[in-house]
Amino acid sequence: MNVLVLYAHPVETSFHAALHRLIVERLSAAGHIVDDCDLYAEDFDPRMSRAERLAYHDGHTPSEEIGRYVERLRRAEALVLAFPVWNFGYPAILKGFFDRVFLPGVSFTMIDGEAVPSLHNIRKVAAISTYGGSRLRAFLMGDPPRKLVTRLLRATVKPGAQVSYLAHYSMNLSTEESRKSFKARVAAKMDRF
Amino acid sequence: MRVLVVYCHPVPDSFCAALRDVAIGTLTAQGWDVRLVDLYADGFDPVLGTDERRHYHDRAPADPALATHIGNLKWAEAILFVYPTWWYGLPAMLKGWLDRVWATDVAFKLPADGGRIVSLVPHITRIGVVTTCGAPWWMSMLMGQPGRKTILRGIRALCARRSRTLYVAHYDMDRSTPQSRAAFLKKVRRKVARF
Repeated sequence: MNVLVLYAHPVETSFHAALHRLIVERLSAAGHIVDDCDLYAEDFDPRMSRAERLAYHDGHTPSEEIGRYVERLRRAEALVLAFPVWNFGYPAILKGFFDRVFLPGVSFTMIDGEAVPSLHNIRKVAAISTYGGSRLRAFLMGDPPRKLVTRLLRATVKPGAQVSYLAHYSMNLSTEESRKSFKARVAAKMDRF
Repeated sequence: MRVLVVYCHPVPDSFCAALRDVAIGTLTAQGWDVRLVDLYADGFDPVLGTDERRHYHDRAPADPALATHIGNLKWAEAILFVYPTWWYGLPAMLKGWLDRVWATDVAFKLPADGGRIVSLVPHITRIGVVTTCGAPWWMSMLMGQPGRKTILRGIRALCARRSRTLYVAHYDMDRSTPQSRAAFLKKVRRKVARF
């Protein structure tokens, strides 16, 4: 499968960077064609501009920069998100990918003012995330990033697509062991992807 | 009371700008001391960078571009967010403001022994949101309102205990009419007056 990996962590020596390498390595080893989109390395600007906002509903051809990302998204048959949870949301750089690339005509169609999901080329989704706080705290906060994946992304991609969400909570209290076991879970998930 | 209005929309003459003006007008008329942050006009950089992340747990962010924002957090007793809801969440620009400004040693402290997070902004006692959602109300409920929860639960948890909240949204914006928008402006005026 063509798998688009969207990765959003700025620090090369972070635990998430290790997860990212693991994801790409295991997916490639399993025979997938991996398009590794490292948003920080590609210096993605997450800010939707005035011109983009004004043209949003007009079906204009996106800029060359965004057009390339649209092309990569369209080519993908599966999506793997790897991101740290900051302030109970996606990092801005990843949120901006949705704002600027998941455009009308790409991931949904506007029909009489209603957004109808249409990113049906994506047949499988996995998200790998890390939280500073505990699972209980995330639950009390309504766990917005989990909902963005298991509800919103699920509703956006091909109906019936498999969507999974793997999270290491309490990163601030993580141990060598907890990190190792999370890596093993991620590796197993990618091997079977 | 001192209120920080955090406004985020790329188009200067958007409906959101009208919401901002009504909110500020209402607050000022009530005698509030208002400060406005206009993230797009300020050219704010929402991307938390490598160095900032590297030192995230050691100290407050050092970028001088954040100094005014950090000062605003110390000053504010209330915060009112005005923004469009995109993909059921905050625009990246606004999310990045939270990522970078609501940081260690600014908004909270993490005890080294792994104890409970300590608020550094307990003087903020009110958190409000004025927003527009393309999707209808029922769809927003179905998706679990991630944007609302990021602010009214996640950010609120860092502020004073039992902070008052306000959430006003114009749902179904993609099918809005001049009438629905006028009615919403009225509603915002009414609700913000009681903020």
